[in-house]
Amino acid sequence: MLLREVAYARPRTLEAAVRLLGEHEDARALAGGQSLTNAMKQRVGSPAVLVDLAELAELRRIDRAADGSLELGAMATYAQIVLSPEVSSTHPILAEVAHQIADVQVRNRGTIGGNVCWNDPTNHFPPLLAALEARMTITGPNGEREVGYDEFFVGVFMTAAGPGELLTKITVPAPGACGSAFASVPIGKDGTCIVNAAACVDGGAPRIAIGCVAGVPERATGMEQALAGGDLSPERVREAARGLGQALDPPSDVHASAEYRRHLAEVLAVRATLQAAGRAA
Amino acid sequence: MEAGTNGAPTSSRVVHVEVNGERHEREVDARRLLVHFLRDELDLTGTHVGCDTGNCGACTVHLDGEAVKSCMLLAVQADGTTITTVEGLEEDGRLHPLQQAFSDHHALQCGYCTPGMLMSAKYLLDNNPEPTEAEIRKALQGNICRCTGYVNIIEAVAAAAKGEVSA
Amino acid sequence: MSVPELRATIVAPEEQETEVPQRGFVGQNVPRKEDKRLVQGQGVFFDDVKRHGMGYIHFVRSPYAHAKIVSVDVSQALELDGVYGTLTGDEVAILTDPFFELSTPPGAHIQDYALAVGRVRFVGEPVAAVVAASRELARDASELVEVEYEPLEVVVDGERALEEDAPVLHEEAGSNVVWSGSFDWGDYDAALEEADRVVRIERLHFHRFSSTPLECSGALVEYNRGTGQWTMHCNHQMPGIGAIWMAPSLRVGLDKLRFVTQDIGGAFGNKICLHPYFVACCLLARKLNRAVQWTEWRTDQHQANAHGNERTFLDIEVPVRADGTMLGFSVRAIDDCGAFPRYEPLGAIIWAQVTPGCYRWRNIRVDFTQVCTNKSPVSPNRGYSRMQHLWLTERIVDIVAQQLELDPVEVRKRNYVRSDEMPYETPNGCIYDSGDYARCLDIALELIGYDSLEEKRKEAESRRKLLGVGIGSTLDSGTNNFGQSQLVNPELQFSGNNEVATVKLDIFGEIVVTLGTVPQGQGHETTAAQVVCDILGCTPDDVNVRPGHDTYWNSHAGFSGTYASQFAVTGLGAVKGATEKLAAEMKKLGSVVLGCTPDDLELAGGTVRMRENAEAALPFMALGAILNANNAGLPEDLDVTLNCRYVYRPQFEVPDLERKFGNLTLTYATQIHACVVEVDRETGAYEIVDYAAVDDCGNRIHPQIVEGQVHGATAQALGAATHETFPYDEDGNLLTPNFYDYHVPHAMDMPPLKNGFIESPSPFSPLGAKGMGEGGGAGIHATCAAIQDALAPLGQPVVYDSCNPYNRVWELMRDPAASASLVTVESRDGSRS
Repeated sequence: MLLREVAYARPRTLEAAVRLLGEHEDARALAGGQSLTNAMKQRVGSPAVLVDLAELAELRRIDRAADGSLELGAMATYAQIVLSPEVSSTHPILAEVAHQIADVQVRNRGTIGGNVCWNDPTNHFPPLLAALEARMTITGPNGEREVGYDEFFVGVFMTAAGPGELLTKITVPAPGACGSAFASVPIGKDGTCIVNAAACVDGGAPRIAIGCVAGVPERATGMEQALAGGDLSPERVREAARGLGQALDPPSDVHASAEYRRHLAEVLAVRATLQAAGRAA
Repeated sequence: MEAGTNGAPTSSRVVHVEVNGERHEREVDARRLLVHFLRDELDLTGTHVGCDTGNCGACTVHLDGEAVKSCMLLAVQADGTTITTVEGLEEDGRLHPLQQAFSDHHALQCGYCTPGMLMSAKYLLDNNPEPTEAEIRKALQGNICRCTGYVNIIEAVAAAAKGEVSA
Repeated sequence: MSVPELRATIVAPEEQETEVPQRGFVGQNVPRKEDKRLVQGQGVFFDDVKRHGMGYIHFVRSPYAHAKIVSVDVSQALELDGVYGTLTGDEVAILTDPFFELSTPPGAHIQDYALAVGRVRFVGEPVAAVVAASRELARDASELVEVEYEPLEVVVDGERALEEDAPVLHEEAGSNVVWSGSFDWGDYDAALEEADRVVRIERLHFHRFSSTPLECSGALVEYNRGTGQWTMHCNHQMPGIGAIWMAPSLRVGLDKLRFVTQDIGGAFGNKICLHPYFVACCLLARKLNRAVQWTEWRTDQHQANAHGNERTFLDIEVPVRADGTMLGFSVRAIDDCGAFPRYEPLGAIIWAQVTPGCYRWRNIRVDFTQVCTNKSPVSPNRGYSRMQHLWLTERIVDIVAQQLELDPVEVRKRNYVRSDEMPYETPNGCIYDSGDYARCLDIALELIGYDSLEEKRKEAESRRKLLGVGIGSTLDSGTNNFGQSQLVNPELQFSGNNEVATVKLDIFGEIVVTLGTVPQGQGHETTAAQVVCDILGCTPDDVNVRPGHDTYWNSHAGFSGTYASQFAVTGLGAVKGATEKLAAEMKKLGSVVLGCTPDDLELAGGTVRMRENAEAALPFMALGAILNANNAGLPEDLDVTLNCRYVYRPQFEVPDLERKFGNLTLTYATQIHACVVEVDRETGAYEIVDYAAVDDCGNRIHPQIVEGQVHGATAQALGAATHETFPYDEDGNLLTPNFYDYHVPHAMDMPPLKNGFIESPSPFSPLGAKGMGEGGGAGIHATCAAIQDALAPLGQPVVYDSCNPYNRVWELMRDPAASASLVTVESRDGSRS
């Protein structure tokens, strides 16, 4: 509960925030703080400087871009996403999943940017954003760069946003005729996920991503390819998922054995895909 | 109120907050959690600590009208905000209907989770005056109670929503 | 009859009409006295108490499960600005004596101190303590304490701990055994002979978990160097026993230790063994001449305070007749108490309060061994020791029913003790006071719609769910006969039980009650007031029950405290006794004033008045004022204090130590639960879709409070059955050290509960009530049975563990033969299956 000493700044501009992050060794951006504060309480993470992004209103915006894609500011809270008309009109799955995260108090503070930057393998958004093929905008001392989700997620608690850089925006491509779904086996209702899976179906090959099985969300590429073209009947989807688990190398921990996670990965990939297909129809 | 500056990081900071209608100005260590600021410095000991991982919700307060866990927030982050704690629930010396309903329905035993539970319940009713049972359960998901099994808490919130509380 | 004008105030009849209170508040849901302060955030929990210049304690805790302490260096910590001082194990070893052990040898030789001395035996064990000006600073300083360890081999498994070459935790004890003993009641060998079949179960495991009260432990401790007294504002739930441990260790008299509690944020037994921490606090308060506060955090509590006993049952054997009548059982039990026994080995006997469970089993043989391992020490935990044993009895019933293809409902009814047999003496001499288990079961089954079960199974099947039903039948034995402690150690000078209350009438007619108990949410202030007002003829609002407990001012007895399901019997028994004494005194005083005999008087409407003439009445205020402030002229021999103390003492005998036979508890409340689960065929994830809890605790003083206890005990049991577990890795690291990984049920997890009740008054308790707060863990047993029932179509797997997270259920589904192979059935024609 008791944090190490830390210095705190609350800049008013994005430029100042980036400057502060670059100037100080071991500085960390503080978004909603719903994971970082916990790590600091346990003293497993103790940054020297916290740069609070609370004042950067531009990072809280949720917009629909001209090309139909959805732009989520990194500081958009789960609660904001749940209620956003832009989200519900483009990718309602984001709201549906955000509503399952933790609890109302955490949803009021926790942000999508914090969720993906923390990249806890049990988080909800990484696999969902993988299935939606989101792109991340990172701002640093040398300006902005955009990376795909696959480049962004690097490993457990690691992303492409390096020291002195800040995730500012997440762009989710226009939905088209896409149907999306998310399936999980959590510990207790709407609890921490043991395994989760997200799927997005829009006529071509479905995009399927599995969470909680590796440091980054794993795309089920074999299953996707097997399902490219043709109908998504339950039999065919189940057949395509066969072997998916064995291709994974998930961790064993107190909540599940690797073997159980492999099994759940197949079951949940099927469930998410079938539900997404139903929604696309 | 904007509390930001573009200045250098500091290990302590003067914080201005309005808590239950009273304004406070204190210098606070940056590392101090809001819950300890409220309890140890403002003597508002109704807000409790039941865990160290942000799971139990005993420390729930309203920050600018939103339910938050005060153990998941630094006191300096609350600079410039308006806070309501359980001590601020009564109106004109009368118990809030939720407080009365909790007593009516035996929704508390040891009473340790109760302040956080009340603040989460109030946040629900502030935003959804006629919740279903499922909505009540969902709204209380972030608050752990080890005594009641939640049965009577859910009943109490439903009763308060309907205005069915004893005088 | 005329009323003396001098002292009497006459209550006018019309006023009397409106003020006459309703008789009979006992049995009603009166508003709880505790609630107002708690909903206002005005409760006073230990961490709310502050003192000028207080210091905050942070413990340096062991990162190793088993290691020698080579050195402890606090010099760097002491150099940090704002650090007031430190305490090490070396100092503790000089300044204190090891805590008194309850066990006979070998456990008696174990040396348990406030801080680790020379060796650490579990992760999180306090090694040193630091006191500083702020909480954060104390933790900073604790990180500067340098401890050098020499790691030792670790043992985390109870069976492994018994092996010849296992590392020994306490070399003084010679082995890891704390206590062992065998129990043999009835004629087990004859039962085996008589049986048509013998069911054998190789192994069952009751897991570690705890009730994890939401408020962790702690204390603000002050020392007065003038008086040599310590005051602890704390949340110890059993200060009497706390002082018995602490005072000799600190080498002071009992009265040097003052425990003060007001509100306690749940305890469930987990706040009984706080003495090591409190002794460290006391030493620091004295050493630093400063008030010090220790606040335990959740991770500390999970790692290093109070787990429930883990128990492995081996070689279970059940002789059964062809019709499903079970003749008893035999078992070898290994109880893992973690690194130090503390309250143990009482758990090695407490289970015997419910030896045959709810059943008419007459022949029982138990071989019981308690061992130490490199895990957190255990402490009593709601359902203490009986829950583990009752889980065994319920598993026996459901496994036998499964193997012999009998209906679990019919088997239970065939084997339950019958209501017409009450009071029923068990094979080990316990007296089940009253109850009707079969009727409770019928109510539970009706509540879950048992008749339409098969349709529900089919409907669930259409959703690819497996539906199962399970029953848990348990007894909550309350009001211990502490003489049972002599069954584990004949030298112990404990027997019987007692509890105290005082009731006084004060100068303005206020009725003031103090209790010997230390409540943590059980509503003692309210129920005590109900009992008092019914006797004194007033309302609960007229009765002030002092919140909390202060060992200086509350009268208490040797067994005072709030634990082991007994307040409705012992606590209220004491309240009743004290109030009856006060009532008699009030009548006696009234008779002097009114010039009549006490028998002419009654207490009603807040007055003492003539039975035959209600106009001749003295309000309580007059009585209080006369005796306390206006007493000139009262007869010299008037023996009235209006301040009455009563010690309730249930009638017990010391058990027969040779036969291990005797009545171990006074009352037995019944819990019959029925659980309906739906298991996902593909994932093993499951949900409790219907649940009924039927309780019989005799006369219910406050039905709402009783139901609240049932809800809470059920929620804890369901949590334990599904996700709550304290597993360790092979290095002795707890894998669920806080609420992030230790998932307790929240509002969405809890199924809707259906409650039923009957009232079988206890013939033995003062109010016909029975203790009932702990429950018997029926929810665990019912959930295990329901899962086993649901999975039966997949090849009859056997639920062998008390905790069944989804992963385990999936394994039961995937490989049903693995668990099924734990059970064999021998037919007495010689065949085996």
